[in-house]
Amino acid sequence: MPTIFGVQSTPYIVIIMSNRPQNNQNSEPVITITSVSKAFGFRSVLKNIDFHVQMAQGVCICGVNGAGKSTLLHIIAGLLKPTQGAVKICGLDVNSEPKAKSQLGVILHKSMLYPDLTVFENLLFFAKLYGVKDSRDRVKELLEDFGLLPYRYDKAGVLSRGMLQRLAIARAMVHRPVVLLADEPFTGLDMEASRYFISILDKFRAGGGTFIMTTHNANLALQCCDRIVVLDENHFIFDAETSQIDADRFIENYLIYARSPD
Amino acid sequence: MNYFCQSLWAIFVKDIVTELRSKQVLPTMIVLGMLIVYVMRIVCEAPSTSTIVIGPAVLWIAFLFSGLLAQERSMAAEEQENCIAGLLLAPIDPGTIYIAKLFVNVIMLCVFEAVVVPMAFVAFQLSVADRWIQFIIVLLLGNIGISSIGTLFSAMVQLTRGRGALLSILVLVILMPMMIPATFALLALFSAIPIKVEGYGALAFVGSFNSAVGYMTAFDAVFFVAGWLLFGFVIKD
Amino acid sequence: MRRILLLLAFVLLQISTWMALTLGQIAGPPANPDSVVRNILYVHVPSSMCALLCFVVLMVCSIGYLCTNRPTWDLVAAATAEVGTVFATVLNLTGMVFSHAEWGTWWTPSPRLITSAILWFLYIVYLILRANITQSQHRKARICAIFGIIAFLDVPMVYASARFIPDVHRANFSFTSAWQTTAFMLNMAAMVLLAILLTWLKTDILKNKAMLEKESTY
Repeated sequence: MPTIFGVQSTPYIVIIMSNRPQNNQNSEPVITITSVSKAFGFRSVLKNIDFHVQMAQGVCICGVNGAGKSTLLHIIAGLLKPTQGAVKICGLDVNSEPKAKSQLGVILHKSMLYPDLTVFENLLFFAKLYGVKDSRDRVKELLEDFGLLPYRYDKAGVLSRGMLQRLAIARAMVHRPVVLLADEPFTGLDMEASRYFISILDKFRAGGGTFIMTTHNANLALQCCDRIVVLDENHFIFDAETSQIDADRFIENYLIYARSPD
Repeated sequence: MNYFCQSLWAIFVKDIVTELRSKQVLPTMIVLGMLIVYVMRIVCEAPSTSTIVIGPAVLWIAFLFSGLLAQERSMAAEEQENCIAGLLLAPIDPGTIYIAKLFVNVIMLCVFEAVVVPMAFVAFQLSVADRWIQFIIVLLLGNIGISSIGTLFSAMVQLTRGRGALLSILVLVILMPMMIPATFALLALFSAIPIKVEGYGALAFVGSFNSAVGYMTAFDAVFFVAGWLLFGFVIKD
Repeated sequence: MRRILLLLAFVLLQISTWMALTLGQIAGPPANPDSVVRNILYVHVPSSMCALLCFVVLMVCSIGYLCTNRPTWDLVAAATAEVGTVFATVLNLTGMVFSHAEWGTWWTPSPRLITSAILWFLYIVYLILRANITQSQHRKARICAIFGIIAFLDVPMVYASARFIPDVHRANFSFTSAWQTTAFMLNMAAMVLLAILLTWLKTDILKNKAMLEKESTY
């Protein structure tokens, strides 16, 4: 097998044709991305991306800035329409069926929270927006789970970055989604907040949830995900399970790649 | 249906609470309205001007320009922390967001009118005699028309450079035709013109008070439906 | 092909202008029988037709863009807006000159005249809107398409009914001879041809411009 990033892994092109690292579960993939391409005018950002994610799998999409990671995540979330191809969450097309969106929880760069509303009101609004039954009880449950109870009457605009990230995660999970998408979630977080976020992801995965994360921090990616894919230009160049990767060599080679991606 | 009502109500309450807390727009709107009324009163101080004729004009000008403030805020508030993405990620139809924001704008304009209209009555010595209900209906129709166009366009201008200034020219140019029956309706109510007008001219084209109300309703219906259908195209990418 | 059409339009315009100037004035409700300014009608009416035609095309292209997301629809819409502005300006100015010569007033707020003014404003606001969106071509196209549709919903209601109601703006005039009718028709044809050609040329210019601006996204 060829060596990419110092790791013996099957290159992505071969993966489509031959045996990929398979999950133990033989169930239908939770997220199915078929031949997705996205072009902004004459610039092709993603080309023929085929990607499947099984249940309770945590995937990290790595890549340099401008590789198209955020674009791919936005397409999976249904915020952008692909020029070609389809994205299915639990078998439902994300662009045409609203039910697909109720299976998704998304965390983006900006917190998507209202600074003038309190923590409690923000969560209650999103609970009602997603049609959660017994919204007040659900919000109280979330406040306890995420340790936000002392801040529940504070306006979202005055929270620190770490607390805001917690609130953003709580907002993403208010409707008990099956899939969690996170775009560069570790930006601006200190060590403790990062560890807390990783613990939440572990708990989510243990409960059967699937998540896709984008980051350019290979270290953190190895810590919390089962599978790493690397996006370069407009296609995947690397896809392997974390258990099969030698951490140090991977990071070393990835850093070399990141500095000069040719 | 239940989900539609619940999500509509959630967005509506959220906007009202945000506005009551931040007190950003309503006071500014009301003061702007009052200033417009008083400036126009001072400016129209020639001996021959009939205040009953100027009154309706001033009312509509005040509504249009102050309404712009409310509409600008309605979508600008969603731009802060990319909250519009938060709304788009939910399994709701973008039309629901439009209707909720439309309600908010209409309510804000109603509150505004409750304060500024009595002021205009005092300044221009207007009276509607016993035609209160028709007066309120005309004002409400005007509100809905101004708000439906304003809400749609305020979503549009968030993506442009001009923002507030651009919103004002967009809304005014589209509302120009609606102002003809609107002015007729108010002039008729204030007894400045007879209920039916014959002959040439814009007022004669409208014809009568009933057809003025009919025209306004038609404009409102068209703008509402167009806004509801097109809102999704504006906010989605 | 385009050069032939351009030549044809030019020739037609020349012929019809010569005929207009030499065939005497157009008859009609006599207000000022000696006025030669009447002949401005040869330009006024066709430019009104062309301005409206451009508006309809603008609306069709707006709907086309929203349905298909193809850049060509947007480019044609932009070209039509620019050409339409020219015709709307000509319409309003010739109308004002004509009414001053005939009736002594530059402008009155009658429905037809208000609608012509609104048409002009709508075109101008469309162009300003286009100029103000700089992030991406796709966004610009989408927003202008939406504005185009709303603008179209706005105007015809008033315009169509104005034809059936007595108005200061007189919609009837008659020609003294068949030659005048021919001149008028030639002028109409020439103007429409000119509108189509200008739109075509402008679309090409905009297309080339979009191709050159590769870094701006569509």
